[in-house]
Amino acid sequence: MRSFEDDPRLADLLSADQQARLGQLIGALGGGRVSLEEQHQAGAEPLEFNLETIGWLQGELPAERLDAAARLVEFVLLFVAKYRLAANLHNDTTEASFAELQRQHAALQASEARYKALSEQLQERVEDQVKVIEQAQQQLYETARLRAVGQLAAGVAHEINNPIGFITSNLRVAGDYLDELAEKVPGGHSASLLLDDFRALLRESLSGTQRIARIVADLKTFSNIDQADFIPCDLNALLTTSCHLLQAESQQAIDVRLDLAPLPKLAGYPAKLSQAFFNVLDNAAKAIDAEGVIRVGSRLAEDVIEVIIEDNGTGIPPDVQERIFDPFFTTRAVGSGTGLGLSVARDIMRAHRGEILLDSQVGAGTRVTLRFTCPNTP
Amino acid sequence: MAEYLDSERKLNLKVVYYGPALSGKTTNLMQLHTLLNPQRKGELMVLETRDDRTLFFDMLPIGLRSQEGLDLRLKLYTVPGQVQHDSTRKAVLSRADGVIFVADSQLSQQDNNATAFDNLADNLQKLGMDIESLPLVVQFNKRDLPDAIDEATLQARWAQTPWSPLSLASALNGEGVVESFRQLLRRLYPVLDREYQLAGRHGIDAEAFVRQLSAAHEAPHA
Repeated sequence: MRSFEDDPRLADLLSADQQARLGQLIGALGGGRVSLEEQHQAGAEPLEFNLETIGWLQGELPAERLDAAARLVEFVLLFVAKYRLAANLHNDTTEASFAELQRQHAALQASEARYKALSEQLQERVEDQVKVIEQAQQQLYETARLRAVGQLAAGVAHEINNPIGFITSNLRVAGDYLDELAEKVPGGHSASLLLDDFRALLRESLSGTQRIARIVADLKTFSNIDQADFIPCDLNALLTTSCHLLQAESQQAIDVRLDLAPLPKLAGYPAKLSQAFFNVLDNAAKAIDAEGVIRVGSRLAEDVIEVIIEDNGTGIPPDVQERIFDPFFTTRAVGSGTGLGLSVARDIMRAHRGEILLDSQVGAGTRVTLRFTCPNTP
Repeated sequence: MAEYLDSERKLNLKVVYYGPALSGKTTNLMQLHTLLNPQRKGELMVLETRDDRTLFFDMLPIGLRSQEGLDLRLKLYTVPGQVQHDSTRKAVLSRADGVIFVADSQLSQQDNNATAFDNLADNLQKLGMDIESLPLVVQFNKRDLPDAIDEATLQARWAQTPWSPLSLASALNGEGVVESFRQLLRRLYPVLDREYQLAGRHGIDAEAFVRQLSAAHEAPHA
């Protein structure tokens, strides 16, 4: 569109009707026919506006009157133009203001959208944070529970140790007495049968007390929560007790096959190492069915100790493998798994400058390798 | 910006009187209308409101025709100084070839001067022009008032700017108005000459440019 300051043409200022009417009026005043023209004609008087000739006044008037008539038209045009310029400028500025308002409106909307997104993001972050806090609380709760259970187990183990000690010793002495009794009882078929039966009873009882003693020893090892410093650990012994504990805890028999090579002692927290082994073993036990086998092996290669726990169970799909070490990631039903087992195992391995490696095939089984570097190997 | 129509050998220029409200922009233009006697001079168009405040703008067209046939038109505009008319100010300022900033010399008006000058710089920038390179004259008006800041102080204050020396005026009495206009013409000429070869192609040198556009009634230029 034309800018407000462009020089107007005659037609911009007066319409054809208005030009005709003005010509008529001036003609009537001057006493001769007069008309406003865009094009120059012989004898016409120029009409100037802003130093610009915008039209011509043509008429059958004496030159003097035609000149006066032209000045009169110019005088009229000045006021028409004044209004026109003001109106055009007003229009220009209104449009510019409107465009500016629209731009501001768009900017405001963009800003609003940004804040809305930000607020949603904030909401998400709050929810995430809440989740983290809940997880931390659960972890804390689990730790406290484990500690309480450990303390209870340690207490119970200690209390049971004494009676088991004298029961074992008494059973042995009873066996000796039984031998003496056999010599003194006159030979007879029924008496001999009775004594044999008695001996068998004592033997079974003794084996029962040994089993109790072993469980107590395992419990003590497992709940060894008070040891704060690294001490030399026998990894094979810890592995063995963890396996025993696993079998003791399990509802059904688990086929665990040990293949342990002689290992040097490793500086570490025995309770924590037991926990790491147990957590891995526990996963293996849950992956296998009745025919499943868990193979537990250890070996030393140069200065690296490897503990391998292998099962022929269900295996772990790749997408689960990616997240398996994430805390609180679990595939088990709510309440039956905390999702802490492997993450705790990994943390424990890190604390011992070791690493935990996972190799699993769906349907074929899972192999977990725990690698320790022991710099002090002779 | 200047508009040159080669077919008509016509050059349209625009000079804008800018400044705070009531600093005397319209008075400058009215005095120029009275005092100037250039080769060609049109009607002064004043668009004021009832209380004599400029609402839209004032405009005075002047012009000259060189012997080589260049038809040079210069339209002088004023803007409304009141703060609320900023969009009008910006519309009038657009495509200006030169600006005369009319400041108020009274001590009490210095804040308004500064605000208006910032507004000028701001609007020029929005319109894609650079205040440093635009031909610009700063006129301190109302020198006749008793609390006008003295000249030495003002000149010292502006000495480090590209717009020194300042032009001083008492527009109501017709003093300094033509001089300010001439100062602008002298700053405007080199820019135009570079772009349109006024001297080379059109036979208008700086002296003729200034003299012909600012010929005055009361003191005919040498």
